[in-house]
Amino acid sequence: MKTKSLALLFILGLAILAGGLLLPQWMSYLFTIAMGKGLVVLGLVLLMRAGLVSFGQGLYYCVGAYVAGMLTQFAEVTDILLILLASISVSVVIAAIIGLLLCRYREIFFAMFSMAFSMILYGLLVRMQVLGSTDGFNVANPSLLGWAPGPEGASDLVLAVAVFLVVSLGILAWRYLNSLSGYAGEAVRENEIRLEYLGGSVFKVVYVKYIIAAALAAIGGTVTALVSGHVDPEMAYWTTSGEFVFIALMGGTAHVAAPIIAAVLFEALRTYAFAVAPYTWQMILGFALLAIILFMPSGLWSLVERFQNKKARKTT
Amino acid sequence: MLELKNVTTEIAGTLILRDVTFSVEKGSMVGLIGRNGAGKTTSLRSIMGLLKPKSGQILINGTDMTKQGSFERAGMSIGYMPEDRRLVPDLTVEENIMAPAWACQLTSAEARLAWIYEMMPEVEAFSDRRALQLSGGQQKLVALARAMMTGTNLLLLDEPFEGVAPALSRRLASVLSTLKDEGLTVLLSESDQSHSADLVDEAFQIERGSVEPLASLT
Repeated sequence: MKTKSLALLFILGLAILAGGLLLPQWMSYLFTIAMGKGLVVLGLVLLMRAGLVSFGQGLYYCVGAYVAGMLTQFAEVTDILLILLASISVSVVIAAIIGLLLCRYREIFFAMFSMAFSMILYGLLVRMQVLGSTDGFNVANPSLLGWAPGPEGASDLVLAVAVFLVVSLGILAWRYLNSLSGYAGEAVRENEIRLEYLGGSVFKVVYVKYIIAAALAAIGGTVTALVSGHVDPEMAYWTTSGEFVFIALMGGTAHVAAPIIAAVLFEALRTYAFAVAPYTWQMILGFALLAIILFMPSGLWSLVERFQNKKARKTT
Repeated sequence: MLELKNVTTEIAGTLILRDVTFSVEKGSMVGLIGRNGAGKTTSLRSIMGLLKPKSGQILINGTDMTKQGSFERAGMSIGYMPEDRRLVPDLTVEENIMAPAWACQLTSAEARLAWIYEMMPEVEAFSDRRALQLSGGQQKLVALARAMMTGTNLLLLDEPFEGVAPALSRRLASVLSTLKDEGLTVLLSESDQSHSADLVDEAFQIERGSVEPLASLT
C-alpha cells in the first residue's frame, strides 16, 4: 500500500471519528454498534471468499462480549486494551479447537455445524444463573491506560477505539487479502483439488481464516458489550449470526470496506424501519435484502465497481 | 523411486483399484495403459493423495505417501497434470505456470520458468494470454508446463495425449522425450499405446483395477 493512500485512510479515520463524536448520543451509539458488527462481518467475509458461510459467528461475538463483561464485573479489569487482548485470546483458543473439526466440512454442513456450536454456548449461558441467565448482566465502563472517562465519556472512548480498530484491522485485512494466503482463499473456493496438487494445504488455509474470523468477531462483541454496557445470551443466538450473514450479503465480498459500510447502512435501516413500522420492521429489512439480491447480486459494493468500470472505460 | 504395494482404492464403496503393485525406476518413463474406466486416473489420484487408498502402501523415495497430505507432494518436487487441465481461467498462462512456485515458495522459479520456455517456446509465445483464451490442446501444454514447474523429481501425467490434435500431440511427445533425456522420472497414462509406444521404457496394463506388466512391448 502506498504512503499516500495510507495517509488518506488516516485522514478518513480521523474524519469518521470527529463525525462520530459530533453526532447526537443515540446516533454515535448506533454508529459504534455498527463498527462492532462491521468487524464481525469482515471476518465472515474472509470466510465467504473461501466459499464458506458461517452461521455461527455469534459464538465468538458472544464470547468476546462475555469476556469483556466478566472482566469488568468480576475481575474489575476495565482497561479496554487488556479486555480486547483477553477476548481475542479466549476466542482464538476456542476457534483453534473447534476449527480442527469444523474446517473439515463445507457448504451447508459447515454452516449448520458452526450454528450448532453457537447454540451450545447459548444453551450454556441460559442455564447459568451466575451470569444472569437469559437476562445477562451489566458491563462496567471501560478505561484506557489508567484514564477513566466516567459514564459520560466512556461511549466516546469506545467509539474512538472502535474507529481505530476498524481502520487498522481493515488495512491489515486488505493487505492479507492481497497476499498469497489471501488469494489462497479464492483458490479454495474455486477448486480445492487443484490447490492441493499445486502445493497448498486447503486445511491450513481454511483453519487460519476461521481463526482470524473468530478473533474479529470477538473484537466486535467486545466493542458492542462495552458501548451498550450490557451482555445477554441473545448474542450467541442464531438470529444474531443470521444478521451478520445478512449484512455480508448486503455489502458483498469484493472489498474490505464493503462489510463496514453495509453494517452502518444496516443499523440505520433497522433504526428507521423500527421507527416507521414498529410491528412490521422486519418486513422492511426483508424487502431491502430482496431488492439487493435481485438488483445487486454481488452486494452494494458492486455499485462502486460499476462506477470504477465506467471511469476506466472513459479514460481508455 | 515410486512404488505401489498392494494398493486398493474405493470410490463411494465401489472397488476401483484391486491390489495394485508396480514400481517406476528413477530416470525412467513408464506408461500405464488401459481402457476407459480401467482405473488409470484413480491410480494417479491415489499416488497424488487426492484419493485415500483403503489399504496398501505408496512409497516415493522410501517415504510412505499415504500418511502425507496431498499438498506436501508439490513440495517434494512431484508434478501432476490432471486429465482435465484445470487451469485458472482468469489468470494468464505465465501466472498459471507460476502458481505452484508461489504455493511452494520456490526460490529457483525464474530459472525453472526459463527452462520450461526453452523446452516449449510456443508456450512462451502466448504466456501473457489468459488461460480461457486458449484452445484445449494449448491448455494441455500449459498444464504440462505447470506440472514441470515443481515436477523435478517425478512427473505424473494423466492422459497427456487425450483430445489433442495430431500436430500438437507429436509436439507433446517430443517435449516428453526431451524430458526423458534430461533424466526426469515420468509416469503417464494412456488409453492405448498409439502415442507413447516409442517413448516409454516400460509399460503396465491396467484392466478392471488390476495392473500387470504389458508383455507385448517391443
